[in-house]
Order: sequence, then C-alpha cells, then structure tokens
Amino acid sequence: MMLYGPLVVWLGLSFFGPYDVTQGIYSKLLYIHVPTVWVAYLGYTLTFVYSVLYFFTKKHKFDSLAVSNAKSGVVFTVITLLAGSYWGKQTWGTWWVWGDARLNLTAILLLVYLGYIASRQFNKDLGKTARNSSFIGIFGVIQIPILHFSVIWWRSVHQQASILSQETVASGDAPMSTDILLTLLLSVLLVTLVHVFLAKKFRNSNDILWDDYLNPKSRAKI
Amino acid sequence: MGIGLIIYASTIIASRNTIYYYTTSETTNIEISKNERIKLGGFVVENSISKDAGFTIFTITDGNKDIEIVFDGFIPDLFQENMGVILDGVFEDDAFFADDMLVKHDNEYVSSDGETYNVENYSE
Repeated sequence: MMLYGPLVVWLGLSFFGPYDVTQGIYSKLLYIHVPTVWVAYLGYTLTFVYSVLYFFTKKHKFDSLAVSNAKSGVVFTVITLLAGSYWGKQTWGTWWVWGDARLNLTAILLLVYLGYIASRQFNKDLGKTARNSSFIGIFGVIQIPILHFSVIWWRSVHQQASILSQETVASGDAPMSTDILLTLLLSVLLVTLVHVFLAKKFRNSNDILWDDYLNPKSRAKI
Repeated sequence: MGIGLIIYASTIIASRNTIYYYTTSETTNIEISKNERIKLGGFVVENSISKDAGFTIFTITDGNKDIEIVFDGFIPDLFQENMGVILDGVFEDDAFFADDMLVKHDNEYVSSDGETYNVENYSE
C-alpha cells in the first residue's frame, strides 16, 4: 500500500502535469525521466555506502541494504532509459544516439549493476558472495559523477542540466516555469518514496537468504 | 575486472566522442576531404526555411557563420526556426547536403501559463 500510493500519485501527476509549450505534451516525460534517474543515483550511492559498511563490519544487514538499493536502482535505470528513449524519439527524432556520452554511460551503468545482481549467484557461500559483490558496489559509484558531468565534458545531443547546473545553483533560478518546477520536485519526492518501499521489499527477500545461511537448521521447515 | 571494464569503456567513449558535431564556425578551421561525412550543428535562422523539389533548404548559424543546408530526409516534428539542429552529411561547394537530422532541444521548460525565465544556456 505504501508502495502503490506514491506510485499512483506520481503517475497521475505526470499525466496531468504542465508541459513545455515548445516540446508539447511529450515533455511531461520530464517527470518520469529525471526523478527516476536521480533516484537510481541515490540507490547506487546508498549501495556504495552500505557496501563499504559491510566490507568493514561484515554485518549482514548492510549487505541486504546494499543489494536492495541496487535492485531498486536497476528498476529505475530501466525506466529512465525507456522514458528517455521515447522522449528522444519525440523531440530529437531518434530513439538512441550512439555518439552521445550520457546515453552510452547510462547503458553501461545499467550493465554494471545488472552485473552486481548477477554476481550474487556466482558463489553458493553467501558470505563470500556478499564480500565479492561489495567490491562492485564500492567501485561502481565512480560512474555517477562522470555521468553527471558528461553533458558538460562532451558536446552532444543531450540537453544540459536544468536544476543541478552551476547557473541554477548560483542564481537560484531554474530555467523552468514555476508550475513545471514544482511538479518535477514533487515527482522526485514521490519517486524517492517508491524507492524506499521497493527497496524494503527487496531487503526482506535478501534477509530471508541470510537467515537461511546463518541458521541452517531452520531449512528443515521449508 | 568490472572496474577495468568501466575505465576501458569510459576511455573509448571519451576519446571517440569528445566532439559529436562541429559548429558552423569550426568548419573553417578543420580539414574536410571531399565527400567526407561530418556532423554539423547550429541554430535554424529565422525566415530561411523553404522547400524546393523535395528538398528542404534552410540556413543554420552559431552566431558567427551561416551555412546553407540542403536537406533530404526525416524531419522531426520539433524542427522550426531558432531551434538547434545537428545534421549529418557532406559539403558540396559552400552548401551542406544532409540526409539525417537531430533536433537538439535546450534545457528550458516553459508552461502555457507559466512565466518565462531569461537564462542564457548557450555560452559557446
């Protein structure tokens, strides 16, 4: 319920929200594309934090937290790629631009965290698995600053940042109408809530694996 | 292994795509051999769009240099005056013959009843 509430409100907001007059109704994809990628960054950053904590403390709750945030991050990365691709088709005139650094790096980001999830299956011993995948969780985060600055470092098709740009931070004025800005910020809040409850679901399933690993006797019950 | 892959892929992308397209002014400084395909970016000049024998003819500029474009291909809905476009094609004399267009939208979002901001995003 906690998961579907924010989800429904977010989708409703995106559907009925204001749009850019030049780009037309497809610019409403802003409310899907931007919040999902930010929350994916958030998820991967938390995966990094919990991977570091797991690596040094070996407490299994940190591993579960790292995995759950990575899984939720992957879900949102897929959504942002699909929404962005469709938006690109409607405005740029193409689904994908192979020469664009931000697009390619986002695809690599997805592959790395799919690899992180796949690495959970490499070893039957959950203790070793958790240690191995914490390496990916720790080093994978390097991509996020590269991705953020990719539109500045490499001249390409993707537009510059509207909110998290130097001009906006310095002047306090985003190059957006107030109603679009408010809808976007509200969407970010709602997607963050969706992430929190989605990650909680993933965490529970990983906690069961740990419980099974640490208390082999309870396996008899299954 | 994963780290190596990330670094390798990033380096490849960085080295191959440092510049995805040239601005109109830059074309005067670079060597372009005959029939070499390049990508050219600029803003569509006002009142320059016309149709002739199936071709769409217009002028793009980066503020310093204008180049006439002869275009034959799919035109995205967003194509209009003052819009940023990236074209793929070849130079023939002074005109640029292109058959592929991408519309490069800026990062301004203005709603129908919202106020506008005057933020200059194209400093280059």
